[in-house]
Amino acid sequence: MRRAVITGIGFISSIGNDRASVLASLRELRHGFEQVTWLDNPRVAVKVLGTVKGFQVASTEWRDWRWPEGYSFGSEILRSLAPHGLYALCACEQAVADAGLRAADLANVDTGLFTASAGSPFLLHHHLKTLDVARGERGNPMGVVSSISGTLNFNLATHFHIQGAVCGFVSACASSSHALGYALDEIRLGRQKRILVVGAEEPHAETVLPFAAMRALSINPDPGSASRPFDRRRDGFVGTGGAAALLVEEESEALARGATIYAELAGWGQAADGHSVAMSHPEGRGLIEAMKRALKDASVESSEVDYINAHATSTPVGDKSEAFALRSVFGAVPRQPRVSSTKALTGHGLSMAGALETALCALSMKEGIIPGCAHLQEPDPACEGLDLPRATLAEPTRVMLNNSSGFGGSNVCLVLKAAAASRT
Amino acid sequence: MSTQSNACTNPATSGPSVDKLRRLPPSATEDFLSFKGKGDEEALTRLIIAVLTDHSPDKAKAVTQWGPELRLIEDIGFDSLAIAETVFFFEDLFQISISNEEIMQVRTLGELRAFVKTKVTALAS
Repeated sequence: MRRAVITGIGFISSIGNDRASVLASLRELRHGFEQVTWLDNPRVAVKVLGTVKGFQVASTEWRDWRWPEGYSFGSEILRSLAPHGLYALCACEQAVADAGLRAADLANVDTGLFTASAGSPFLLHHHLKTLDVARGERGNPMGVVSSISGTLNFNLATHFHIQGAVCGFVSACASSSHALGYALDEIRLGRQKRILVVGAEEPHAETVLPFAAMRALSINPDPGSASRPFDRRRDGFVGTGGAAALLVEEESEALARGATIYAELAGWGQAADGHSVAMSHPEGRGLIEAMKRALKDASVESSEVDYINAHATSTPVGDKSEAFALRSVFGAVPRQPRVSSTKALTGHGLSMAGALETALCALSMKEGIIPGCAHLQEPDPACEGLDLPRATLAEPTRVMLNNSSGFGGSNVCLVLKAAAASRT
Repeated sequence: MSTQSNACTNPATSGPSVDKLRRLPPSATEDFLSFKGKGDEEALTRLIIAVLTDHSPDKAKAVTQWGPELRLIEDIGFDSLAIAETVFFFEDLFQISISNEEIMQVRTLGELRAFVKTKVTALAS
């Protein structure tokens, strides 16, 4: 069977806009949170956000935007982008360069693009308001392609002239994990030689605050403890935006061109809870099945897993459900896998989460570290038996899992294997 | 900065239309007001060049000087999306509505200028 490997990664995130700074944040457990005021209204109870530094994208007008040095974008691409599209473009450029490829190498039918984002509620709101004020008579011609869900694949495929499989994935917080799973399938089936997978979201009020209405966001005003997955006192997630991009390639292609391999994307599994539109199944039913399927798909025993990047967003219900699921699958294993949720550092990137965390896993695997559980002081009793390291460990790993769960109970588990381990 | 504070306090030079011009060179606002107030055609010409320059998707071909015969697509690198954006800009600026049939009639800079002038004059009368 054809294998897929990760050869390039790129980050625009609350904990860094390049691999080196992200790695330093993981090593030192340095979070990316700041206090913010939403919509100029200090009465909003939510106070903390995983902010994206170095960009100015508060305006609906791209001509006002600013981005970090080192990137050069023309109006032909900017005019149809949302703020998270700009992040995605930067992350993709990093991933392509990291893979040792040039943008021109993507302009063919052997390259695909799978994306995930919620679209841009920020721009959509603006464009619909324009339409409303003009009573349907006028609207910005870029309104649709810049703001609806799918804006990432429209724009990035055009920009990179990608001619293979191009589509977007919509399963809320499991979206970009789905994108990676199906990218693996496309490569296994021999349909594509490489797929650029990117997840991105906006840290704007229009994307994040609707979750406050669901009572899903932390109202803890302390950036140093608002996001504390698995902690007894957790009270909700902290939002974030940014972009994460991964270049997934068929292994023989990567080896033939001498690419550096972060990890093999060795398998995946998905299963749904069949339970609630918004809440996880109390005992993690779908996630258990997703993990079992992923292990089977990757031909990995539960005892071989070294580290699990948990979905755990720091919500009371979700973390508990995942803890049950982890105990169910790994409870009988003599050497417990290490478990942490890097959302303690980054915040919860919604559709971007799966791609971001898989990229963090790939980076950690290559660098021989296991990210620790930042901000965890008193583990929830539901976590009893789980190995939750408080600090980042310098430990080599051969097998990692990355869990993601989305609304409607969609669960995805991805398996990474160390590059050397994949060929033994 | 004084221009900006004047724009905020003088009703004649503020409002949503003028706000659209704030990302163009300051002369564009003067040209807009001059054309709208006095029908100054030279001002309209300068305004159109400024707007086309701003909306050009191909900066290498961007218009640098007026040529009524210059074609939007073939000569100055516009694509259909850039034309749609430019039309939307003028619609919003002058609070007019431009139909698809009308857009199809406009191929050159000269036709664009004549069209905007006719449309705005019709609105005022």
